[in-house]
Amino acid sequence: MTPPRPYTPRVARKFIGGYRPRIDALEKAAGKVEFVDDLTLKSRFPGMLYAKVMRSPYAHARIKSIDASEAEKLPGVKAVITCKDPEVSSLKPTSAGWTDGVDTVSYERMMWGHFRDRRVLGDHACWATDEVGAVVAAESEQTAEEALRLIKVEWEVLPFVLDPLEAMKPGAPVIHPEIAPRNILPKDVVGGADVFVDKGDTDKAFARAEVVVEAKAVHHNATQASLDNWCCLVDWKSDKLTVMSNSFEADQSRMHISQMLGLPINKVRVISSYVGGQFGRGDTGDQPFFLFTALLSKKTGRPVKFRHTRRESFHDSRQPAIYTAKVGAKKDGTITSMYFKSIGNSGAYADHTMFALKFAPTEITEAALAHIPNVRMESYGVYTNKLPACMMRGVGNSQFNLIFGQVVDMLAEKLGMDPIDLALKNFGHEWGGLPDKSLSAVLREGAERIGWRAKRHKPGAGPVYDRVKKRGVGFSFHPAWHAEWQEARRGEIRIRITLNPDCSVVLDAPTVETGTGSNTCNVLGCAEALGFLGIGPGDIVWPHTVDTETSLKDCVQTDSAVSYLQSEVVARAAREVKKRILEKAARLMKAAPEDLDAADGRVYRKAAPGKGMTVRDVFRLGDMLPIVVEMGRPPNSEKTGVPYIANFAEVEVDTGTGRVQVLKLVVLNDCGTVMYASGAEAQQIGGQVMGLGEALTEEIIYDEATGVPLNFNWIDYKIATMADMPEIEPALLEVWRGAGEYGACGIGEGTLTCTPRAVLNAVYNAIGARIDDIPVKPEKVLRALGKV
Amino acid sequence: MPRKSGKPEREAKKPPVRIKINGQWHEFEPGRDIAPEMTLSFLLREKLGYTGLKVACDEGACGACTVLMDGKAVLSCMKLAVEADGHEILTIEGLPEDDPVIQAFAKQCEPGYGTALQCGFCTPGFVMTAKALLNENPKPTAGEIKEGLSGNICRCGCYSGIARAVLHASEGSAPKGGKP
Repeated sequence: MTPPRPYTPRVARKFIGGYRPRIDALEKAAGKVEFVDDLTLKSRFPGMLYAKVMRSPYAHARIKSIDASEAEKLPGVKAVITCKDPEVSSLKPTSAGWTDGVDTVSYERMMWGHFRDRRVLGDHACWATDEVGAVVAAESEQTAEEALRLIKVEWEVLPFVLDPLEAMKPGAPVIHPEIAPRNILPKDVVGGADVFVDKGDTDKAFARAEVVVEAKAVHHNATQASLDNWCCLVDWKSDKLTVMSNSFEADQSRMHISQMLGLPINKVRVISSYVGGQFGRGDTGDQPFFLFTALLSKKTGRPVKFRHTRRESFHDSRQPAIYTAKVGAKKDGTITSMYFKSIGNSGAYADHTMFALKFAPTEITEAALAHIPNVRMESYGVYTNKLPACMMRGVGNSQFNLIFGQVVDMLAEKLGMDPIDLALKNFGHEWGGLPDKSLSAVLREGAERIGWRAKRHKPGAGPVYDRVKKRGVGFSFHPAWHAEWQEARRGEIRIRITLNPDCSVVLDAPTVETGTGSNTCNVLGCAEALGFLGIGPGDIVWPHTVDTETSLKDCVQTDSAVSYLQSEVVARAAREVKKRILEKAARLMKAAPEDLDAADGRVYRKAAPGKGMTVRDVFRLGDMLPIVVEMGRPPNSEKTGVPYIANFAEVEVDTGTGRVQVLKLVVLNDCGTVMYASGAEAQQIGGQVMGLGEALTEEIIYDEATGVPLNFNWIDYKIATMADMPEIEPALLEVWRGAGEYGACGIGEGTLTCTPRAVLNAVYNAIGARIDDIPVKPEKVLRALGKV
Repeated sequence: MPRKSGKPEREAKKPPVRIKINGQWHEFEPGRDIAPEMTLSFLLREKLGYTGLKVACDEGACGACTVLMDGKAVLSCMKLAVEADGHEILTIEGLPEDDPVIQAFAKQCEPGYGTALQCGFCTPGFVMTAKALLNENPKPTAGEIKEGLSGNICRCGCYSGIARAVLHASEGSAPKGGKP
């Protein structure tokens, strides 16, 4: 083990940037935190019923007739609603892609309004286990399940297709003919046309290129696998509906329910408590289960709880994509032309397919490919009868990095260059020159920490260990996200500081506590900004629960950016708090406010710092009213570019069995400013469980003959445990700087974006044979080696 | 305790299931409080409100539901409630807040290892598994900690911090770092 090397902050601060425990560490370690499934025990809601929804046994089918009469007679069943009933059949068609969570949107303004392909409870099953037909509310979950089995359904079984390339062919089964007559999603306003980036003249540049490489990289469905399954309790009493859930976006959940059920916004109350892992799950603004659970509550007059089983939790996943690429360069390593084409498997519903395939790569083009004169990107989202893919940590970036890091590695080899030099020669961002300081810092630091010079060798030409084992090193890099200017769409970020007469503080900077560490950042930021009060993080009460009836609008846990977005506003609001204190003190001290200042809990005359009074006395002798400052501010739009992230991997490949063992990972993030070092390291280390899982073991497997997913459980879907993880070295850097008080950049999602490609490049370095698709299972290694 | 009754043996009520939970004996009447197919996790969470343990996979793959039975770690989602008859169960609610393992998990912030928890959903399971490990092996090596905790999943991935916390708990040393 390499001894840890803590980072040195660029600017020394009292609280921000420190190595310290999380603010919620003790309550979580002691098991005292209550998640929604805990808060909605039947003992707390004695009249509560449980909802269950029917799921399709077929990959593609329609309900011809449905008869629920036997289910209704079952003792304990309180309500059955079928797709033929007007309360659901009258609901508008919808999409699970209302918003990427950044902004709250209405039905009309939903992000992917072109693809309203979902019915809340329809008769068209588009994949095996799709929610269709009927929902039941019963006294217990077992009774509800039994009732579902008693519902007689006559199915019209339809032909299905799982592979997007097959689905694009003429004559393939068509999933949503009204939206995509050939299964290929049409052009839309957000994602753009099929060719969505076309800069310069790539064809001409390829013709003139001295070196050209072509590559393919296939990214698969992985699932977020939050331990805390989706859960909600809906209580619809007279004209008011209250929802408790583990949604990570309370304000958007309220908008969604209000719009879909036609209720005034103030008649919908959404309460989100702690969430046991988010990772992009439900980054949709739309989950039909909220709606049918609400309708069951209305029908029965009782609170109704719906929760996913572990099997059902697999309904959220990463968008799979087949990428191909071509890159042209001069002999000196100057890249002249890049072309990327992707075919995404949307699965049964479009959802955020085009976010992954087009929106994210457009952002990457702006950031990383700004200095490449000719760039063309082309993409097709394709409907199939597979699991509809959703947002997942690093949406679009993970898929893109798998091909991006590959072509850099391949081109460097063909040119006889070190890939680090090739990267520095070509990639930066639109608002800066080359070489990019941030990219240079992460790559040099990573190279040093992994032992690049000593360990990197010609592909497959390194030493052999234990007669059959070969080692290699590799890396991948990517522009980080999001800097503040990239968050403009959020609109105003609102916070409120209440300073009480005893100098205790209530901070209302609402954001759902999903574990990311941003609430700790907020409290540290508040303590930092109110430093003149002489208080610390322990004096600040923070909002553990977001409640749309009492909280300000929540800053949604997306884009990895909440760690600093609210703190930037808090820093400004704190200046206003100080101004108000000085005004109060000025009256008591018979001075002009501008002649006063405050530090360490005291107000003093600038001219005579020894003379003054404590802030507590300002309250005690004054009006005793708390100072309340509420502030809303849109993100700073100053274009500062973005920093870089990278992962370096060392692997050992057993050429006899095909097993890949990762020996070490170095995870590098240029954060701009480290807001909370222990939390940032936890993200860097923690992201590798998902990143290595996607690279080596995690994969959803289907039965090709029936289209039925086979491993919707945690026995057969392999998530890494402690015993599976290699040594991980987190490296925090502060090189780039954004706008504002801190000028930080998000890091959470990016920690795993480069992991699969770093591992694959290391595998290539070890064995000298390329593997195009992940996860890298032993059979793929043996095939690449020509052994099977 | 079963009540005395003049009725013949075969008509007598089945004796209650007795389980000692966090130091206190509880009696459960078969058919009313407890059913043959009821899991221990269901009894503890849904019937008794011990929500520290979590049911995340419900098939013995993740360890979030771990409790101690007679000092040993058991997966309460894989154990029938009646199997605990006559045994002693310890849930995280039965640990004091100054328990060295809880404290070590809460305080971990040693540079290079991150925190020992993020979302906190898996944490009670890890804490109880660590308790069982340290009961059996008070001074585990790094390898023994890895092996001993490899039945638990932390999707936030705080394995480095967790291993460090368990090591510190076994050494009785609190890591350096500021207060929360």
